This record gives sequence, structure tokens and C-alpha cells, in this order.
Amino acid sequence: MYEYVVRRVLLNIFVLWIVATMVFLALRVLPGNYAVQQFAGANLGSIDPETIQIAEKELGLDKPLLQQYGEFIGNAARLDLGESFRSKRSVWSEIGDALPYSIELGVLIVLVGFSVALPVGLISAVKQDRWPDYVLRGVAIGALASPVFWTASIAVIIVLKFKLFNIDVIGQPHIWEDPTGALKWYVIPMFAGGLASTANTMRLLRSQMLEVLREDYVRTARAKGLRERPVIMGHALRNAMLPVLTVMGLTVATIVGSQIVLEQMFNIPGVGRLLFQSIFLRDYPLTQGLVLVTTFVIVTTNLVVDILYAVLDPRVRYI
Amino acid sequence: MSASDAAVLPLIDDAWVSRPTGWRAVIRSFRRFIATKRLGAAGLAIALFFFMLALGAPVVARYSPDQVFEAPNPDYKTNPSISDLAKNPNVGSPMLVGRQLSPSGEHWFGTDNAGRDIYARVVYGSRLSLIVGFGASILAVAAGVVLGVLSGFYKGWVDLVLQRFIDALQAFPAIVLLLLLVQVSEPSVRNTVIAMGIVGIPLTTRLVRAGVLGISANDYVLAARSVGASDARIMARHVLPNIAAILLIIFSIGIGAYILFEATISFLGVGPRNVVSWGKMVQEGRAAIDLHPWQSIFAGGAIASLVVGFNLLGDALRDWLDPRLTGR
Repeated sequence: MYEYVVRRVLLNIFVLWIVATMVFLALRVLPGNYAVQQFAGANLGSIDPETIQIAEKELGLDKPLLQQYGEFIGNAARLDLGESFRSKRSVWSEIGDALPYSIELGVLIVLVGFSVALPVGLISAVKQDRWPDYVLRGVAIGALASPVFWTASIAVIIVLKFKLFNIDVIGQPHIWEDPTGALKWYVIPMFAGGLASTANTMRLLRSQMLEVLREDYVRTARAKGLRERPVIMGHALRNAMLPVLTVMGLTVATIVGSQIVLEQMFNIPGVGRLLFQSIFLRDYPLTQGLVLVTTFVIVTTNLVVDILYAVLDPRVRYI
Repeated sequence: MSASDAAVLPLIDDAWVSRPTGWRAVIRSFRRFIATKRLGAAGLAIALFFFMLALGAPVVARYSPDQVFEAPNPDYKTNPSISDLAKNPNVGSPMLVGRQLSPSGEHWFGTDNAGRDIYARVVYGSRLSLIVGFGASILAVAAGVVLGVLSGFYKGWVDLVLQRFIDALQAFPAIVLLLLLVQVSEPSVRNTVIAMGIVGIPLTTRLVRAGVLGISANDYVLAARSVGASDARIMARHVLPNIAAILLIIFSIGIGAYILFEATISFLGVGPRNVVSWGKMVQEGRAAIDLHPWQSIFAGGAIASLVVGFNLLGDALRDWLDPRLTGR
């Protein structure tokens, strides 16, 4: 076990190094840099090349690529991600500001996904190949195919049409500061994002339930005269839940940093929007830092899940 | 008929009936697919419908996607006074650009912010989605075959190093990788397809590698090797034909995802320029979504229905070709 964990950690470090190198290279390949992009709105021909050179020197962009790379990797290894070009603040404090919003949204999305998927997946499995199952699976197929910006737009249309509430995207309150204000702001992105998550979770739960319902211990439970309800809730659901919970944990990890569309649409200053803007502005340190941190979260969650799995289920063996 | 029966049938055919070959075999298995996989057939019908739209766009669309329409000016006055003109400079023109008209017999889906026919644009938009979906999926599968076969067949350090790169690509949030790649050169359709093909590589490589590993463990591969067949021959005669089904599954399941990816980056404003894109249309429609939601509704609906079609088709193909995966 110990040996396995050490090997996985070392492999993860190697993967993170490749990711760091890829993002470094990709950013340098992108046309323009922060200094040029600054003046992109103005007429490029009229700008003194010297102005750009001075700006580049200030940002350290005039150094040879290899030196820039060495400094980036060396600093990142010491957990120093540098300063954002735009705000001149450390990348860590930028992340510290953005992360709570992304985690809020991610947790809300997964909560919606889970609380809808649990009953829906159960019904679908218990009523397999009867009309409730068909209807629910049909909805899930539609939900998985709908782009999140479309479902969010439809929700906006409905809210505006029936004047349900005012969509305020200016205030940006945290949920612990102003619960009602934050909910009004989050409710559409959370349901739009939750829809796709629901469809995935529901399909997984359904297929797990169908597998478990055929197990011997379920038949035994029924044979000893247990009523259907405790059989489903106690025996079947409990055992079908483990993979579902795993997937949900992984979803929270991947959601942070990948909800670019929803964060853009609803002006949520989270990690995804910050990442999108930083790529657009060629804010190298910020993009590099954000990509490294989101990748780290994903890779580490994967590792923790694998270890937990082995702890919870002794049948799983390490190779 | 359940999926397991479908798997057994070909064996019975082999033993008792002389099997039709060539095109007749293809038509035969196609018929059986339609008969046994109703949802898959529905998906195929949806996909074919959009193909027809894309091919027959000049006929089906009724108008050019770039044609700007005019509508009568409700405030028109034949002889406007100076004060009228000061209030509304358009008072003197009998016709105005027909922006944001609601759906009517003339404009089935209405017109957009620039006075163009939304129905025509939705029809023409199917071209980009199909090109991108197929192009990216072909690229990703082709790259996946090369890398996956190398990795699964030679194993050893090639496998180890290659898989770490695949790990890294996969750990990279897909949308972020895509955002980086599409901005590398000018945003054309070709470059978008290439960028999305690269994003698909980790998944295709993994699946192909798993397939190759499974096939290589078979006795007939060992037998071929023991009679002195070269690596190339084993690969061409034994491994590749046997992963053909896996390739078809990977190919068809990816298409829907690539269509959604293209819509997403177009929505974010970094998609291909100078083409009609459904994702971009949803974004443009948001400008006046309170008064004129039609553009967002129809363009997004088109994305969702095309993706539903490809997803149904892909799922059915997977169940049909590889019954072990049913219900996953």
C-alpha cells in the first residue's frame, strides 16, 4: 500500500511537470503577449515599438525562453506562482479570491444534480422498461445533449417572461453573506449546470441499481419476506451508492475551473472566468498558476478516491 | 431481442448458413441494426435529416444566410418636418432593416439582430457542426490508433512514457486546453477541427490501447508470432481488424461531444470566424433575449437535437457491437 501511494505521488508530480511544460509552451506559441495585447484595442501601427519593448522588459518577457521556463518551474516547485501581469497581485491571492465562488457554484451544482438524480434514478431502475423509465431516460438523453449555455438561456427567458425575480449579476454576494441575493444570482447557473450533472448521475445510479437488484442478497432479503421498500432502500441503494458518490466527488473537482461558460454568462468571478480572461490577456503567470492548481486538484482527487476505494472495499488490489 | 442474443446470432450464421458477403452483408447487418436498435435507428434518422439539411442548404434554406431583410417603417411619414426628423432620423425612410422580427410565414424562425433570416442561418449552421463533429472525430481516432497501437503493442518504456503524456493531456481541463489551442493560429474551421482532434486524443488512445492489449493476449496472436509473422503483419492481419468495432464505437460516440465543444467555444467568442455557427447564434441572441428570444431558442435547439441524434446512434452502435458494455 505504502509503496503504491509513493509511486502514484511520484507519477503525479511527473504529470504535473508535463502539464506545466505544456501550458508554458502553449502560452508562448499564442500570438502576442501581455504587452502587445495591452494595446490591441488601439491601432497597432501607431504604437511605438519601443513602448512595447519597455513594457516587455518590465514584465520579464525579454528574457530568453529557457530562462523564463527555468524560473517558472523552479518557483512553482517552491509553490511560488508569481504575480499576475494585470493586477500585480500574487497568483495565490487571485486564486484565493476566485476559488470560493467556483466552489460555491460547484457544490450547488452537485447538490442539485444529486438531489434530483437520487429519486429519479431510483424510480427509473425500479420501473425498468416501463413508461416512467422511458420518460426519465428520454429527459436524461435530452439533458446530456443540451449545451449548458442553451439551458441557462432558456431559464433566463422563462424568468424574464414570467417576471419571477430580478437576475442581479452585479452584486456578487457570497452565499454566507447574503443568502437570498446569492441564491437569486446562482439559481439559474446552478440548475443549468445541475441538469447535465443530474443526467449523468441518474444514468449511473440506474445502471448500478439494476446490477445490484440482481444480486443474491437482494433475492434473499425478498425471500425472507422483507417488504419492497426496505429491500430497495436498505439493501440495494446502499450498495449502488458507492460508485455514484465517487463520481460526484470527482465532479466537484473537475467543475472548479471548467465552468467557464456559466461563470462568463452570469458574471461569477470564479476560477473558470479568471482563466478565460487570463488566456485572452496573455497573463502568463496567472494562466500557468490557475492551470497548475486546477490540474493538481483533479489529479489529487483521483488519487484520494483510488486510495479510499481500496480502504472501503478490500477486494480492490493494488498493482 | 436482448443484446446478448444479437451477439450470439452471427455465430449461428457462421455455422449453418452460407453468409452473404460484400455489400449484401453490410446491408443485411444494417437491416438487423435498424430492427433491433430502435433508438439507434431514431438517432440515425436525426443525423441523416441534418445531413440532408447541410447538403441541400441552398434549396432548403429559402434565403441566403447573409441576406439582410427590410421591413416597412411603422413611423414612416411621406413629408417629415424637421422636428420629426430630429426626434427620429429614420422617419423619412419607408423601409428599415428588419431586425428581430418574430416568426412569421415569411421568416419561419424570425430575423436576427442584423435583419437576417434565422431559419436560413440555422440550416446553414448544420454544415459547420457536421464538418467539425466528423473532422475532429476522424482526427482523434486516427491519432488514437497510431498512439494506442504503439503503446499497447510494444508496451515497455514506450507505453510508460506515452501514457504519462496521455495522463497529462487528460488531467488538463478539456475546455482550457481547447481555449489555448484554438487561439494558436487564426480561428478558421480547419484549425478548430485540429484543436478539437487533439483534445480528443487522450480518450481515443486509451480505448485503442485497451483494445490492442486485449487482442494481443489472444492465442492466435501468439500462434502467428510463433510461425514467424512480422510485427507489421500481426498488426495488419490480426490486431487492427479485431479492433475495428472499437474504432467505430469511439468514432461515433465522440461526434456529439465535438459538436458541443465547437458550440461552446463559438459561444465564448473564440470559434471559427466568417461561418454560421449555432453556438455563436445563441450568444448573439442573448443581446435582446428579453424581447426576442427566438434566435437563442432555435439555434440551441438545433445543437441539442443534432447531439441527441449522434448520442443515440453512438450508444446503440456500442451496445450492438460490444454487448459486454450494455447499460454502461
